[in-house]
Amino acid sequence: MARYGMVIDLQACTGCGACAMACKSENNVRDGHFWCNYTTTLVGDFPDVRYTFMPTFCNHCANAPCIPVCPVEPHKAIFKNKDGLTLMDSDRCIGCQRCQNACPYGVIYFNEDDPHPFWRTENARELTASVGARHMPYYNPNRATTWNGTGVRKRGVVEKCSFCDHRLEVGKRPFCAERCPAQAIHFGNLDDPNSSVSILLSQHPDARRLKEETGAEPQVYYIRSFNRR
Amino acid sequence: MNVTEALRKQIKRRSFLKAMAAGAAGAYVGTSLSGCRLQYGDDPYNPLPVGLYDEGEWIPSGCAGCTTWCAVTVNVVQGRVTKVQGHPKAKATGGAACVRSNLAIQQLYDPDRIKVPMKRTNPNKGRNEHPGFVPISWDEATSIIAERIIALRNNGEAHKIAVFRGRYTQLNQSIYGRVPQILGSPNNISHSSICAEAEKFGPYYTEGYWNYRDYDLLNSRYVLCWGSDPIHSNRQVSLNNKVWGKVMDRAKVVVVDPKFNSTAAKADEWIPVRPGYDGALATAMAHVILTRGLWSREFVGDFRDGQNLFVTGRTVSETDFVEKETHGLVRWWNLELKDRTPQWAAPLAGVTSAQIIRVATEFAELGPNVTVFMGGGAVMQVRGAYNSMAVHALAGLVGSVDNVGGSIPGTSTAHQNLPDAAPFVDAAARSTLGFPKVDQRGYRDMPSLNQGRSGGGVVTNRVADAILNDDPYQLKLVLAYWCNFNYSCPETDRWDRAMTIPFLVHMVPNYSEMSHYADLLLPATHHMYEQWGYLAQKGNTYNNLWVSRPMIEPFTESRNPETTVMWLIAEKLAARGFPNLLDYFVTVKDPETGRAPRNADEFELYAVKHRLQPIWDPAMYREGDRFDGWEDFLQAGVWNNGPYQFKQRWGGNFATETGRFEFYSETLKKALEGHAGRYATSVDDILNACNYTVRGERSFVPHYEEPFIHGSESEFPLLFIDSKSRLNREGRAANCGWYQELRDIDIGDEKWGDVIKVHPMDAQRFGVRDGDTVRVVSPVGEMQCVLREAKSVRPGTACKTFGQGHWAFGHVAAQDFDRKTPRGGNNNAVMPADYERLSGSTAFYGVFRVRIEAV
Repeated sequence: MARYGMVIDLQACTGCGACAMACKSENNVRDGHFWCNYTTTLVGDFPDVRYTFMPTFCNHCANAPCIPVCPVEPHKAIFKNKDGLTLMDSDRCIGCQRCQNACPYGVIYFNEDDPHPFWRTENARELTASVGARHMPYYNPNRATTWNGTGVRKRGVVEKCSFCDHRLEVGKRPFCAERCPAQAIHFGNLDDPNSSVSILLSQHPDARRLKEETGAEPQVYYIRSFNRR
Repeated sequence: MNVTEALRKQIKRRSFLKAMAAGAAGAYVGTSLSGCRLQYGDDPYNPLPVGLYDEGEWIPSGCAGCTTWCAVTVNVVQGRVTKVQGHPKAKATGGAACVRSNLAIQQLYDPDRIKVPMKRTNPNKGRNEHPGFVPISWDEATSIIAERIIALRNNGEAHKIAVFRGRYTQLNQSIYGRVPQILGSPNNISHSSICAEAEKFGPYYTEGYWNYRDYDLLNSRYVLCWGSDPIHSNRQVSLNNKVWGKVMDRAKVVVVDPKFNSTAAKADEWIPVRPGYDGALATAMAHVILTRGLWSREFVGDFRDGQNLFVTGRTVSETDFVEKETHGLVRWWNLELKDRTPQWAAPLAGVTSAQIIRVATEFAELGPNVTVFMGGGAVMQVRGAYNSMAVHALAGLVGSVDNVGGSIPGTSTAHQNLPDAAPFVDAAARSTLGFPKVDQRGYRDMPSLNQGRSGGGVVTNRVADAILNDDPYQLKLVLAYWCNFNYSCPETDRWDRAMTIPFLVHMVPNYSEMSHYADLLLPATHHMYEQWGYLAQKGNTYNNLWVSRPMIEPFTESRNPETTVMWLIAEKLAARGFPNLLDYFVTVKDPETGRAPRNADEFELYAVKHRLQPIWDPAMYREGDRFDGWEDFLQAGVWNNGPYQFKQRWGGNFATETGRFEFYSETLKKALEGHAGRYATSVDDILNACNYTVRGERSFVPHYEEPFIHGSESEFPLLFIDSKSRLNREGRAANCGWYQELRDIDIGDEKWGDVIKVHPMDAQRFGVRDGDTVRVVSPVGEMQCVLREAKSVRPGTACKTFGQGHWAFGHVAAQDFDRKTPRGGNNNAVMPADYERLSGSTAFYGVFRVRIEAV
């Protein structure tokens, strides 16, 4: 039992997008979907301008608004696992998109068509075939070890960040955290006082979460500022 | 047959070959989504694992997506590349690898890759001509090349053969060095001068170092980024991304750049200098440092009586000041600085005098442990050479050169050259090797003073003019690899016209604008996964070197242009009575066994083993990490040297004429006089020819030059600001879906798009609105893209990121590949071809104006 969460050090973050790109490769995420995403702001007028960048993820909310609205019974298609992860079961999902509508953060994506249209074009399929892969040449088979047997999500279901649950199973951290060149993404058990995330939160009592007012109890925290101006 | 059809046809052939060879086509699983349903135990919310996690292998390699050249490890799972990460043991990167390295996966597995050799069937060349490429064998392709070489050599025209080099590994010594030498051509043309030669000019003519600097960032207390964007683009990008949060803890960060760049977004201050006016700003900051007495006594010295005589407007006697590690401070003051007040500079540079004073003062007060991180933006300008000196001289004033927290040179790499080729150069080759290089380097108006030598450096973009004007002569056979000058050199249409030369061989992984003019199109390996190669780079006060290797089963017929393609050509030449190249190649023996190579693959392997022998062979150990042998080194995949010992060059050891850091550059004086001497003229005449305004003694000190900008303000009211996308792998990434999906990490840019950004006031002024498709017109061309109103842009300027605008790079990069419709525009299509002529560098910044029209 754990309560997994993230602490994002915005001063360390350089706004490069490596987290979002790495996520695409780790989780076989299709074009147009961003399990790991980012928000930016650009305000002010020349020369007094300010830019901010904030990587975003599924917040794996303790009080996740997406779960109660899932109509699938008796076992919901979107659910909490023992470690506090909000996970999806594509097999059970009926594609009603209620969870997507309930999510305060817009991090749930619906597959209107078959995945990876680019890789289903004739030219691309031949390349995939020639390297003996499924779906696409750089397909990561490990994504399928905990999620479903295909590693990509089919038409008519929703999908989202799982904190790389397949990596957690084998003792690894989420790939965005692993791959961030700035090491700005910290991951761990918020219930463990010795975890890096707990230590950071104790050092930064002003840590903040997105849309706290919704009461969703998001498990992704942000510390420090992207810039000092 | 259009290009798409040609690419399809070669795939069919490749698929057939593959199926015959390995049955791989039968291994295709398809995109069935039925998969297997999850299985549950007692808990319906904890599905049982499906299969085992397959860690695969992590194989060391390196990234040549930019010149940071980061060591990486590649995750190969079930025979396929799935991930790329930083190499944890690489000290120059601190184990990090930037966002761009991920894109190398999609580069490798790009359906638009060239997969087999192809031959042009349509003799007519042009953007709207279908090349009519048809697949051929390597045997036929290399036979064609060999016949062309033999014919040119027999005709005494071997000098009309050229090798064009874009990105490379250090195995390029074969194709770029030994091959043209043995064939008899002086023409090995690199891309270096469209990279950053002017950036090396200032450091060389002040401290005698012609290269990029390393920076001791973690010990810096003030980082002054000048025309650079260290977390975004060259140099040391991965490391900078890793440490920038810590840098911000310890140092104040100030960014001088006309564009609100990524580092500026995180900086304490942004100084939005007007494009081209870096020299005004730098000399004014030097003025402040001297008048306020803030220079380094330890490095620069002091007045004899300790009283500061640097008073605005007053000259100083040289005998009153005693210098230590520097030369010519008082002359610099008298010739240039005494009148360069912040009040003078402020209206030119477009910033307040208060900001100039504040930044100069804070910077100098924290010296010497401060960093001047100079980049191309400040110096790759028509009159940028003296900016390069002026900006770098600030580091000299505060004593941060070769010092803790400051800028340092790289250290040596323990590799060795390939065997000498001189014995294999025959009389025919000797008769043509003496021809001048084709790129007009060293012309009266193009001194290109690489390391003090007249004509010492390449002038890449002038090759098109040389061809078009038959000056000094025409090229008849070009072997071009990993380059796309029709896209990456300003005023691209000149290259479209020039590449109608009699025979162009293009050796690249992807079809591109230059390929469209090729007579032979040869599929090149991807450097990270499909070939041997190595590169070394500095960072973090270390030097590290990585080696790449073939790590996956080939799925194309691609070969390495640097080595194996050259071997195949050598075999064909030998069969036609010219064995010298092959005879030379067999001297590159396996250092472990002493065996000579018997085929192309052995040649490549022995070449990399030979060049790296001082690293892996204990008997030749020189420095850095130690290894027990080749296999031991391969397992590590990276070699480190360092850390750097500071102040090595203090005490008179700078590689300048005086041995000191030169504010008055005796080194430049000698170089300019040397060049003038070749033309029996004066330095003043040379500087005039090079479009500089300076005359006399000021020519040898860092000084302000009014920028030279193409296009009148009345006709072209907006100064164009070019910058590079954070995702660019030097112009080779736009056919990757991830590149397009994340293009909005460039501030103000858009996914799958290409925008020009202007201040809303200017949009209103020119009757265009946010979201409009606009025509961007310059004195030499025009392009279309989307207009975005952005308040971060200085009024009177227009910012646009370089990276899109490919019309022949693939189906993702183009809006419509078959119709050759680019996604947005290529900045180089509208940028006039001009130069910083003292360094030979192409001018990319502060160089031209545009107007914007609604479409």
